[in-house]
Amino acid sequence: MNKVGIVSYGSYIPQYRISVEEIAHIWGEDATELKNQLQVPKKSVLGLDEDVVTMAVESARNAVNLWDGEPKLIGAIYVGSESHPYAVKPTATIVSEALPTGKEIMAADLEFACKAGTAGMQMCFGLVKSDMINYGLAIGSDDSQAKPSDPLEYTAGAGSAAILIGSEGIIAELEGTYSVTSDTPDFWRREGATYPSHGQRFTGKPAYFQHSIDATKGIMNQLQTNPSDYDYVVFHQPNTKFPLSVAKMLGFTKEQVELSLVCRHIGNTYSASSMLGLNRILEKASSGERILMTSYGSGAGSDSFSFVVTDKIEKLQSYPFDIEYYIKRTKDIDYGLYTRYKGLLK
Amino acid sequence: MRMNGRNVFVIGTGLTKFGEFYDRDSTSLATEALNAAINDAKIDRSSIKSAYFGSMTSNSSPHSVFSSKCLRECNMSIPYTRVEAGNASGAAAFHQAYISLASGIYDCVAVIGSEKLSDFVKNGTIEKILGSTIDYQWEYEIGATLTSLYALITKAHMREFHTTMEQLASVPVKNHKNGKENPHAQFRREIPLDRFLSAKRISDPIGRFDLATHCDGSSALILVSEEYLERNSEIKNKIPILSSEHSTDVLALHHRESLTQIKSTVTAAKKAFAKVGIEPTDIAVAEVHDAFPISEILAIEDLGFFEKGEGGNATEAGLTQLNNKISINPSGGLKARGDPFGATGIAQIVEIVEQLRGRADKRQVSEIEYGLTHNIMGTGVLAYVNIFGQEEMKQ
Amino acid sequence: MEPPKIWREKRQKYLALGISCKKCGKRSFPLSEYCPYCGTNDVEEYRLAETGKILYFTNVSMTSDEMAFNAPYCLGIIELNDGIKVTGQIIDCDYKDLRKGMEVKMVFRILARDGHEGLIKYGFKFTSM
Repeated sequence: MNKVGIVSYGSYIPQYRISVEEIAHIWGEDATELKNQLQVPKKSVLGLDEDVVTMAVESARNAVNLWDGEPKLIGAIYVGSESHPYAVKPTATIVSEALPTGKEIMAADLEFACKAGTAGMQMCFGLVKSDMINYGLAIGSDDSQAKPSDPLEYTAGAGSAAILIGSEGIIAELEGTYSVTSDTPDFWRREGATYPSHGQRFTGKPAYFQHSIDATKGIMNQLQTNPSDYDYVVFHQPNTKFPLSVAKMLGFTKEQVELSLVCRHIGNTYSASSMLGLNRILEKASSGERILMTSYGSGAGSDSFSFVVTDKIEKLQSYPFDIEYYIKRTKDIDYGLYTRYKGLLK
Repeated sequence: MRMNGRNVFVIGTGLTKFGEFYDRDSTSLATEALNAAINDAKIDRSSIKSAYFGSMTSNSSPHSVFSSKCLRECNMSIPYTRVEAGNASGAAAFHQAYISLASGIYDCVAVIGSEKLSDFVKNGTIEKILGSTIDYQWEYEIGATLTSLYALITKAHMREFHTTMEQLASVPVKNHKNGKENPHAQFRREIPLDRFLSAKRISDPIGRFDLATHCDGSSALILVSEEYLERNSEIKNKIPILSSEHSTDVLALHHRESLTQIKSTVTAAKKAFAKVGIEPTDIAVAEVHDAFPISEILAIEDLGFFEKGEGGNATEAGLTQLNNKISINPSGGLKARGDPFGATGIAQIVEIVEQLRGRADKRQVSEIEYGLTHNIMGTGVLAYVNIFGQEEMKQ
Repeated sequence: MEPPKIWREKRQKYLALGISCKKCGKRSFPLSEYCPYCGTNDVEEYRLAETGKILYFTNVSMTSDEMAFNAPYCLGIIELNDGIKVTGQIIDCDYKDLRKGMEVKMVFRILARDGHEGLIKYGFKFTSM
């Protein structure tokens, strides 16, 4: 069988940040308690001239610039998001022209709450492995939506991650992937609705935790691995507490999950969340190290992946526009500016 | 050998008041100006064989084909042409009319400049209209406005020649002082220097009060050939057009070698002065394009009235005030008279002709031999320079 | 914001394209079928350098409706590292922090939005490095 894996990766995070204190002040909430609970002191906010498309393009260009191949070799682009700027008119088409790839390419926009990006990864792995394409680009990009005053408002950030998948020049080889899916109404947004609704505590145990645990156990069972076999583990990050908790439940240590917690700096980037966590690990990992990744998307489902880092990774670890760069590039805004940037003023 | 063509004269001028006239349309304004010019020329309107209209927005607005309606209201059934060269449409129409006479095709034509801008009340509409005077794709659509490009030009001039904010503001201060004496001007009051300096910057360093206002107005001229005058010896007050030249520069600022010189002005002026055989120092009065303070400073440098980089100094020192070294914009310029794009270039000519005829009342410049007009489109993609002389002069 | 124009110009606005003349060797912006220096049509598409320096800059507060969502914004003439000059917005920055000679990088952003229901126009802008 063909080997398949990640051949490059790129990230993008907008520069604006709003703190929990700023939001809590508006709604009369206790910022200290919220910070202890969520462990997300600030979240990223899009600039006025940014959207899911511009973030997707920036992360995709970063992935392509880091790689030594030609974008024309890419045979598929899948963009997962809950906040595509067009309801009808694919983000993927714009990303394709902006890279630019060739015209002979498969492309689609995906939606599966926060795991649409990893669904795109699986599609690319399948297409590469079956020799239908040479390279596929999976992107998770979100301008996370949250109703003002909803608990989600403290964490709903913005960012994009692009993962380039192929069989040549693999930096992290795929050992296996495993998914679970069930009809679970924990979080949804109806057509035409501006903000998502959710089931409060119901989003936890039967939703996030159950699916993340089932998928992670499933892949470890499939590959006959244990938590101790992994150097790093990545989960979806609706806040910092959830991935730490699920890691503990599954027998992973805090050290194994810590590096992936991009959420601490930028909040929940929905479709980009677990993929940005993976990118952070790829930026630091060494040859031979093993990574386990489990995404979660409300509705609900989880995709797990197991990777082994190869010796080709070193050449792809010195790039100026890495996550560290975007985490450090910040500009704080107050709630007043936030309402303008998020388009809350009608 | 260059063919100069036939001699051409201005024998009639007409001008509406400039300003915001919500109760009048383009036809009404143009008709008033044209009738005024015909009356001033004291000719029978049947002698006019063709008309040239200068207007920037009339074909893309509710004022469409006002030219035809204007001629009907003036009881004239003659062929007409509408000329568009952005905010220099008036000067462009004049140039085309001049060519039609100099070439011998016509003996008597009317030129009408008209614009009706007070209908565009929505935010950003005028910015979009003016976006078509700059590189629409690679300046305007990228985010530039005409004002912002002039802001870049202003900063370049300040950086290169140490031109100060006070020097820049002394341009509109002087023009408002002149405009006070012009009954056709939109603004007939002086505005103190501080007002310009303390205003909000809309595109740094250009302040809110620095721009010429986009308003309504019409202007008209009757032009005739020398042959026509020989046949009609009773015609008085004829002012010769000694040269009418235009020139060009590349459209986008990013394609220019220098931002501190408008090349089209320099080349049009050189051609115009060479044709008359005079020097810039021979000009006593000039109406120049002062859409922004820096526009007038660039104009008086590029026309050769002052050394490059000295425009700010000269203005602040009062050298361009009425009856000083050279009288620049005695009408109040675009700034105080108001700027109805297509009407502006022709209103400038009306002012110079009135000055040469000695009919400018309190803003009369003494001892004029030659007068000049200068009108540009956008940031200078096109420049029109005309030189006029005293009655007895010929090309 | 009509679809045909946006479609026709999308590649140029997304990728910042110029031409490289095979005859005289000169590069120019924007994309054209003929070399503006020597007039030949023996030209090939050329993607402009992605980094450069600010030559001139200002801020824009009054702009057309479609671009007002972003105002006030900074605007400048950028000299790219291949010597080609372009006009562009400089974003993610405060006007007061801009300086002549500041290094900038090309990024992909929204240029204009046709209300809430019309098309979105994307293209290049610049951010400080």
